[in-house]
Amino acid sequence: MTLLELDDVTVRYGEAVAVDGVSLTVAPRERVALIGPNGAGKTSLLNAACGVIRPALGRVRIEADDVTGATPGAIVRRGVSQVPEGRHVFTTLPVEANLLLGAYGRVFRLEIVSSTLRYLRSRRDVRDQLDRIYDLLPKLRELRERPAGRTSGGEQQMVAIGRALMARPRLLAIDELSLGLAPMLVQSLAEFLVRLNEEEGVAILLVDQSASLAFSLCERAYVLETGRVALEGPSKDLVGRAEVRSAYLGGSPGAPS
Amino acid sequence: MTTFFQLVVVGISTGSVFAIVGMSLVLVYRATGIVNFAQGVFAVVGGLVTYSLSQHMSLVLAGLLAVLVTAIVATGVAVVAVGIRGRTTHLASLIITVGIAILAEAVLLAAFGEVPRSYSAISDRAWNVGGVLVQPQYAALALVALLAAFGLTLFLRRTIVGQALVASADSPRAAELIGLNLRSIAVIAFALAGALTAVGGVLLAPTVPVSYSSGLTITINGFAAAVFGGLVSIRLALLGGYVLGVVEQLVVGYVDPQYNLIIALVVMLVLIGWRSRGELAV
Repeated sequence: MTLLELDDVTVRYGEAVAVDGVSLTVAPRERVALIGPNGAGKTSLLNAACGVIRPALGRVRIEADDVTGATPGAIVRRGVSQVPEGRHVFTTLPVEANLLLGAYGRVFRLEIVSSTLRYLRSRRDVRDQLDRIYDLLPKLRELRERPAGRTSGGEQQMVAIGRALMARPRLLAIDELSLGLAPMLVQSLAEFLVRLNEEEGVAILLVDQSASLAFSLCERAYVLETGRVALEGPSKDLVGRAEVRSAYLGGSPGAPS
Repeated sequence: MTTFFQLVVVGISTGSVFAIVGMSLVLVYRATGIVNFAQGVFAVVGGLVTYSLSQHMSLVLAGLLAVLVTAIVATGVAVVAVGIRGRTTHLASLIITVGIAILAEAVLLAAFGEVPRSYSAISDRAWNVGGVLVQPQYAALALVALLAAFGLTLFLRRTIVGQALVASADSPRAAELIGLNLRSIAVIAFALAGALTAVGGVLLAPTVPVSYSSGLTITINGFAAAVFGGLVSIRLALLGGYVLGVVEQLVVGYVDPQYNLIIALVVMLVLIGWRSRGELAV
């Protein structure tokens, strides 16, 4: 069964069509990339999957259940968490509070008293999960007391990923992992994601402008252009395609592969 | 000299109310990014509802019920101010709260009449401290302000609910993405702040009678206190409230009661300017 399925999804902002009938699937434990130029509709598609925007047409399903139009919180509870573009850590709060809020958000419903009781009852689970994340990303343990706004870009990306993982997702959707980060840092984050995927079984949906990163990290990829899927398939097949090379990998058209 | 200290004592008591309203504004602002210009109305609702209910029951029970009623009113204000879908911009929300404050005066006038209301204080005796009279009511106001400052600081820093409030204004987008419901957060912030301000109003009315139109002055004073702390610092809002209250009373005692608010606000403006310059220099 597919974990996440976008079925013929269209996203509009007023008259402008950002995503035009895109279908995409992610299987459990799979690593899938979504690449394409600026304005291709990658973030809009991700936001439609995560309940941030309601698609104008098409359905979103998680494990075959229709979740079209569900709130972001409902999507998180179904096991899909997003790491947003630009990270958006809670700058004034300590790193550890950022992480704990990831667990609180998962049990949060409309009503705050029962939400908080639910959180407090799961306190032990939350602690265990926090320890696991500190083991996976030891840097965060060192920084636990520091306001997240006073950490480096790479550390903030770790905080954002850790915060999403606190909700124990089965699919982690990451918008622009590499944006503004040094290549070495991106490399170690990529290795971390592969380990997370292989050891913990968390599926990954990676949106990135860097096609080389996306292809090396993910088994399968979708290439989005002006709101439509231009190409899709196993990464190793796409890497060889001339049009992909010219558009995203910096090669010249017609160059031998 | 006795006059001076007497003015300071009264100033700290009224300043405690400004501090309470100021800290309430800080709480709402830190959770939602909204400046609630109807905040002072909650003090008036607290005082007037206490007065009305006290005709039928004990004053303590009336006061407690008034705080509860105000919290419910504040919940309604939150829903209107942030919108059903929680997507109203901060500026629009601010203007909506200004509208609510104006509307509230009309509603309060219709419901409670135009006579300023007061009721008996905690005790009619006063402590004589070296010639300076300290009413227990003053002490109660100061105590509530201090406890509120202490409690709110702990709440925002150390509890998951407080941190969720701070997170929601810090990055609304991320807060929503991790599953927090921004409208619920706004409702909680407004309700808590409304209840706190109502406590201030309930305790204020015995010393300064409140009427339907008292809200604006209370809001302005509370806002000045809150701005003293850059709208984000609970402790500085507390200090700002005290400074404002004391300066106003000194003006009343030594200059002219007519100008107390204006002069106090000018002093606050100067202090805020001086404080922010100091901050930049660091």
